[in-house]
This record gives sequence, C-alpha cells and structure tokens, in this order.
Amino acid sequence: MAFGRAGGPGEAAAGRAELTHPAPQALESAVTTMAGADGSERMELARARETIAEQAAEIERLRATLAVAATAGVIGSPVTHARLLEMIVETGVHVIGARAGALFLLDEARSELVFEVAVGGRAEQAKRFRVPLGHGIAGIVAVSGQAMAISDAAGDPRLAADIAQGVGYLPETVLCVPLFYGNRTIGALELLDKHDGRTFDAADMQSLSLFANQAAVALELSRTYRAALRFGERADPPEDTAADDALELAELVHEIAQQGESERAACRTLLRGFADYLRAREAPASGLARLMG
Amino acid sequence: MTTPPERPAWSLVPDSLPRVDAIPLVDEITPDWAWGGSDGEGVRVAVIDSGVDAGHPAVGGVDGYVALGGPDGSELSEEPHEDVFGHGTACAGIIRSLAPRCELHSVRVLGPSLTGRGPVFARGVQWAVENGMRVCNLSLGSTRRDLFEPLHELADVAYFRNVVLVTAANNVPVPSAPSLYASVISVAAHEIGDPFRLYYNPAPPVEFGAPGIDVRVAWKGGTWITATGNSFAAPHVAGLVAKILGKHPGLTVPHLKVILRAVAANVRRAA
Repeated sequence: MAFGRAGGPGEAAAGRAELTHPAPQALESAVTTMAGADGSERMELARARETIAEQAAEIERLRATLAVAATAGVIGSPVTHARLLEMIVETGVHVIGARAGALFLLDEARSELVFEVAVGGRAEQAKRFRVPLGHGIAGIVAVSGQAMAISDAAGDPRLAADIAQGVGYLPETVLCVPLFYGNRTIGALELLDKHDGRTFDAADMQSLSLFANQAAVALELSRTYRAALRFGERADPPEDTAADDALELAELVHEIAQQGESERAACRTLLRGFADYLRAREAPASGLARLMG
Repeated sequence: MTTPPERPAWSLVPDSLPRVDAIPLVDEITPDWAWGGSDGEGVRVAVIDSGVDAGHPAVGGVDGYVALGGPDGSELSEEPHEDVFGHGTACAGIIRSLAPRCELHSVRVLGPSLTGRGPVFARGVQWAVENGMRVCNLSLGSTRRDLFEPLHELADVAYFRNVVLVTAANNVPVPSAPSLYASVISVAAHEIGDPFRLYYNPAPPVEFGAPGIDVRVAWKGGTWITATGNSFAAPHVAGLVAKILGKHPGLTVPHLKVILRAVAANVRRAA
C-alpha cells in the first residue's frame, strides 16, 4: 500500500484488500484530520477519490481479462500458455501505459530468473535467457518480495541489464513487482518507460501489484495443467517411485483442499479434466487390446 | 521460625521494581522533544537485508556483520561481507542520514542463492533479537505460512525485549510476516520528500507512512539511484526511532508508537 494521493484501489479491487491496504474511507479520514486542511488539500482529496475510482474500474477490467486468460490456460493447448504469458505483459503495458514490459519466472533449484517474454522494443527478437540473482531490479524484487521502481535506470546500467537484453534498449524508468502464488514468489513482472515520460508512481505500483497477483494465479494454473499433460504422455513411472508420487499427489490435494472453496473447485476442475483426458486416451487402446486378445 | 510465603512465579515485588522515566502527555510531545539534538549515538541498529556496502559514502562504515545461510539458516559468518544487491545499502544509507552516529550492523539474509530463503530470514531476525540489537529494519518479509508462527513468536519476544522491528508493508494483499503483527511498526511509502514527515494511518496493520517515492538512495558499488518502494519508507522510521532512542534510551515499543503518532503530520492538535 502507499500513503498520500496514491491511496488504494479500494475494496472492490480485491476481496482481502483490507488486510494491508487502508480503504479509501480510512485514507480520507486520515487526510481530513490534517490540521488546517485548506482548499488545495481538498482538491487533492477530490483528485485522490477520482484516481481510486478509476483504478477500481481498471482492476475490474483486468480481473475479467485474466479470468478469461486463466480459463484459456486451463483448457487450451501448450501454445495457449505462451500466449497467456504474452497477454499478462501486454495487459500490464497497456493498462499502466508503458513503452515495453517483460516477465521473469523464478527457477528455485538454480537460483536464477528465467526471462520468459517481452513486449515492446525489439521484443520479437528476444530469446529466452537466464539471469543469475543479484543482477537487476527483478532479482531483488523476486527475493525480497517487495515491489520497486527506479526513475534513473540509465544512471546505473547494471540495474536494468536483464531487461535491456530482453527488449534491446536501456530504459530510463522501471517498475517491477513480484508475482506471488500461494505462499511463495514465482517471478517478477517489469514495465519500462512510462508513456508520458513521467516516472512510475505509487498508484502504478499498486495497480500493477494487484494485477500481478491475479496474473500469477492464471499462470500457475496454466503451468500445472501443462505439467499434468506432459506427465500423462509419458510412460508409466517405475514401480519404486510410484508410491512416493502417489503420496506426494495426495499431499498436494490435501494442501489445496485446505486453502478454501474456490481453490478446491479449481483443483477439482483441473483433476477432473486430466482424468477425462486419460480415460479418453486409454479407451481406444483397451478396445484394440480386446480385439487382439 | 517462620518461612516467608512463596510468591507466585509471575508476581511482582513492588519495592524491587526499577524506577523508570516519566513521559510527557501525548499532546505535548513534539519532534524537538522526541529527537531534537540526537544523532542516534549508542543505539544498535540492524539492517536485515542483502548486506551493506560499508565503503559507500552514504553509509560511512558498518560496526558489525553477520551473514546467515544454509538450508535452515544455521550457517553463520561474522566476517565482513558485501551487499549482494544494493537494497541493504539503500536502507543503511537512509538510516545513517537520520541517525549518523548509530551503531550499524549488517545482518545479511538475502543472497544470490534461494536455498533456505525463508528460514534464513527468520534466523536473521532471531539473531538480531537475541544479540542486543535495539532497532531492526526489515524492508522484506516472508510469505511462507510455515514461518508465520515462529515469526509471530519472534516478534513478541522482540516486543518484550524492547527490540523495535520496523517493517515495510507489502503492496499486495498477500499475508507477509512479520509486517502484519501488532508488535512491529509497519510502514508504507508517501510521496512527500521531507524525511521527518510521518503520517499515522488509523486503519492498521500498516500504521505509519514515511517518504518512499522517488527517493535518492545509495546502491551497490558506490552508486546512487532514485527509487520508489515501501522498502525505502521503513528505514526512515527506523532512523527516526534510532534518533528517539538516542535521546530517550528507556522507551519501549508502545511508547515509540505513541510518539511517532504524536508527531505525525495528520494529527489534529489542540489550538
């Protein structure tokens, strides 16, 4: 959250927003208790209200987009996953109004950030690459879990070297927010160079952070489904690991089941879809086996 | 001969309690009373972060180092270390700008390896609480649910030992520990550049606002950047707390919250 004019996008933006973000009413009461509030402060307050309303509408639109994207990721082909990544960056770039953007995912095992997709600049030429942590803004955002913006990235080229490689130019301003899924950080979303030449402000940080939260859910659902598909296409695992795998699967389902009703519903949809896929795949084979027997 | 009656373990013996200083009425607390003339001398401040670059002109030396690592955070080194990212140096620079003579300790919990990230962080906080730190700046947190309980306990231990945990609020409504606990001072960024301008938020868990938007901060390798984030708001409060404790060493965490609220810019004062 942020104080002052940036405020929060309001309760409509996120069901759990009250946890860390003061509602606009609370912000208002904080401002109106200011000693000797004059005309300019009242105007400031009116502007804050407008910004909050605009942001709430924006976030609602994003939610709808992301809901569609999430569904597409779940029921679509692997190509749709790549498209989902692009959509996330495109939506962020469009809504905040930036010249370019990029998405990084965290590879926990190798302690690296994997550059997945970029939009803007020479993004179409960008190849997937890895960045060791400790370089660039995305690294510190991913490990600290704190959003960050810089207004003079060109002043220290090392800071934006990761993203410069992805889009083919060195940005002036960067806004980077973490992607959270469940209780862990899975990556970072970066935007470069705001359109109007101004620096990214607290309201941009707030909006992109909330958007990234929704995007991470869509992304993780899509990734899980892809992994499930790949598993389904492989040969049966050796006997000795099958029991361990089954146990791990049961633990995962148990963990998800404890998260809440919507998480249980999402899990059920995913598993049912996968089970249906397996049944459909196996049916002709068993028919053939009967014929041959 | 009669034996004295046994006292319950938690009872107080009034005559043997130490005397403590009086505190003025809340309305009478001014910034000048709170920190006027103080440079934070003698106050131990821990920057629990990515390390601190002692050679950066904004930092002007580090008084102690601890780097934690390993899968469970139990590997500990007190050798001088560098800042892996620049983030810790930024926080240290802000603290020093407000409390130039505080005793600064770098507790490194963030590094280029992600192994044990959560446990290392929790161990870092534990080290600071158990090793005489008075103020801890936490411009980071953990979203790992299995760490919430140990971090909550640690935050309470810190509170009772008068160790002030100043934490950066998270921009996302994702539960992040320990910034959501009542025993810490949770801070978000506001856009006014005056480092002494604080705001009190009547809707916790984020209780205070401090400068954190387009702030000129020290960074890795002796550089400076202009950065935005709650990460840079928290050290402003940590620095002010160090100043206050330099002048009033006996204050506790609840006193400090009352004082910070009393000097906040959005408090309606009696005419």
